[in-house]
Amino acid sequence: MSLIVDSVTKRFGDVLALDDASFAVEPGRIFGLLGANGAGKTTSMRIVLDILRPDSGRVTWKGVENTELPRRTWGYLPEERGLYSRMKVGEQLRFFAALYGVPDADARSVVDEWLERFRIPEYLDRKVEELSKGNQQKIQFMAAILHDPDVLIMDEPFTGLDPVNVRLLKEAFLQMRDRGKTLIFSTHQMEQVEELCESIAIVDRGRVVVSGALRDVKRAMGRQVVRLATDGDGHGVEWLTELPGVTIATQREDYVEIRVTADRDPETILHSALERGNRVTRFEIADPSLEEIFVEHVGRRAVDEEEEHLASATPSASDGR
Amino acid sequence: MNVFPNALHVARREYLFRVRGRTFIITTLLLAVAVAAVTMLPTFLGALGVADPPEIAVHVDADDLSSDPVTAIQVALTAAGDPGGVEGEVTAPPEGDGARVTRTDDPEEAADAVRNEELDGLLTITRGESGDLAFEYLGDANPMGRTRILITQAATAITVSDRLERAGVSAGESAELFAPPDFTATAADPDDARDEEDFGGAVVLTYVVVILTFMAILTYGNWVAQSVAEEKSGRVMELLITAATPRQLLTGKVLGTGAAGLTQYLAMIVALVIGFAINGPVSEIFGVAGQLPFTLPALEAGWVIAFTAFFLLGFILYSTLYAAAGSMVSRIEDVQQAVGPLIYLAMAGYFVSFVAMNIPDEGWVKLVSLVPFFSPYLMPARMLLSNVAPWEVLVALALLVGTLVLAMWLASRVYSAGVLLYGQRVGIRSVLRATRVSR
Repeated sequence: MSLIVDSVTKRFGDVLALDDASFAVEPGRIFGLLGANGAGKTTSMRIVLDILRPDSGRVTWKGVENTELPRRTWGYLPEERGLYSRMKVGEQLRFFAALYGVPDADARSVVDEWLERFRIPEYLDRKVEELSKGNQQKIQFMAAILHDPDVLIMDEPFTGLDPVNVRLLKEAFLQMRDRGKTLIFSTHQMEQVEELCESIAIVDRGRVVVSGALRDVKRAMGRQVVRLATDGDGHGVEWLTELPGVTIATQREDYVEIRVTADRDPETILHSALERGNRVTRFEIADPSLEEIFVEHVGRRAVDEEEEHLASATPSASDGR
Repeated sequence: MNVFPNALHVARREYLFRVRGRTFIITTLLLAVAVAAVTMLPTFLGALGVADPPEIAVHVDADDLSSDPVTAIQVALTAAGDPGGVEGEVTAPPEGDGARVTRTDDPEEAADAVRNEELDGLLTITRGESGDLAFEYLGDANPMGRTRILITQAATAITVSDRLERAGVSAGESAELFAPPDFTATAADPDDARDEEDFGGAVVLTYVVVILTFMAILTYGNWVAQSVAEEKSGRVMELLITAATPRQLLTGKVLGTGAAGLTQYLAMIVALVIGFAINGPVSEIFGVAGQLPFTLPALEAGWVIAFTAFFLLGFILYSTLYAAAGSMVSRIEDVQQAVGPLIYLAMAGYFVSFVAMNIPDEGWVKLVSLVPFFSPYLMPARMLLSNVAPWEVLVALALLVGTLVLAMWLASRVYSAGVLLYGQRVGIRSVLRATRVSR
């Protein structure tokens, strides 16, 4: 009984935005949707929310088609942030709550509660345009959750927030999950996904290239990562390449990252290092990072574009297209 | 999904946002003042005339006149507006501070006074060689000037009675000669509205109804389009469309904006009523006739309901389409371009109704008055100026409602597709393509 996106295809003119995309989200989990720009993340979200209809395929939540579900099932934080800039914060939030059928008295107390939690209670009667970008974004988040939706869908929720607010938002996420809510978000920041998400889907050019529990996705990569640091000149690592199934991924000043194929025991590296008389200061066996998985599936090209986009998009979240 | 709770939330937000806005408050006050001023206009003009009545000197160089031309001119200038006032026997000048007409024996001095603007005019009356009276007027050069026109009329009357006098017709006989004929006109159609005394009022009311309808569609329809485009360009739209259906949003927007527009109209109507109410007392203070030159026709309740229905349905029909047009553009600057076709449609109906006012029973006018986009103007105009069968009104209303339902359906589809389309140029084609798969 989960959120199921089943073989969804959506075409805009000549562009195939989603191509037979399928993935499932377990209730009460935090789910990460990853992909380069234009991969189809926003389109998937809009289709799940039923503000866009797919050409084929369907979406169900707990067995019910999304077209049949009440609007208040969903909370949505769009990528392009937007509020009525000349409306007061409290009035505006109560308006959106009312659209979702929340009685005004309840809305008032929930608004107060969340403003308190986000440490901005003094903004209740301020116009949105008077707030900083980060605070506007908190208001935007509140507009998405005031009606206590079962599923919260967020497009790039962390962009434009400072570290303190990122932490506040993460705490809110975890708390909602603990109350049994389902959270889906897309992001460019892999570390947020690694920290929060139990499962993920990676979308590339309209296709879901991999999806499932994060641990399974990592295991399915069929390799492990070893981080090794030895006391010494630090340059004598060429011997590593002589070992079967071993490649050097990155060589940094303080350690070397090594990829080992699944059929090899990473511990042979430790043994070889010790045999050669090195003093080992660091030896770590890890799953591949999400970034590595992303690169593996989507390709280096996409990652570069991603970084470019991040660099250009950070100052303003509403640069249009 | 039920349209109403959410449509009302949207309407309420829209209404409050509008009427609290500084622009709205200022515009409404200015309009109310303007309307009140217009109703008081006859009084103001009268008061201005009284404050500065014309001063005319008359030099009579013909001593054989039986009646005093000074009195005749005095009467003509004072009793202006009463077309019978100059004719027939010259009576004593009416009371009041009307025009001051004095006889002068020194035309040179009077002429200087006119040139120095101490006097408004000098009329010299002499006996010409042909035996007729000759008039020479020195004063305002404007041939359409009120004083000059009235003096010309008085001169005509004086000349005519002088000629009759010389022909041996007595004053009493000439009064008889100029008595108005016993003329009675009977309309072939006993119900013809134009036969009635308040027809002048009906024409005025028709203008008011047509202009108010047109202004409402143009102004408040534009508000709707503007507001939708603002929500789209400000990106609030994506939140709205997640929370509510396009139908709810569309209905709420039209109702909220319409209510704000009606509030503005209400302010103007209140100003109108106040204007009329204080017009009487104010005109008495100034001692002038401040009444309007017509009486408004008494309307049956059914007619009033029909007018209201045409006004509201027409407005809702147009503004629903305005909302759809507003949803197709990405930038507020493009709104005017998108609503262009609707403006042309509204203007076509507006101009046709002015043509139709003179020929309300023409076949094509009858036909066009049933057409939904034109009936909000044309049918009320015909109802006021002609005899319209109740079934015609009902058919026009039914067609209007049917079109409204269709427009609502089309608009909410265009809207739900349009609000997520960004970047494209205004194009009905791309919207229609997106429409096929929207909810």
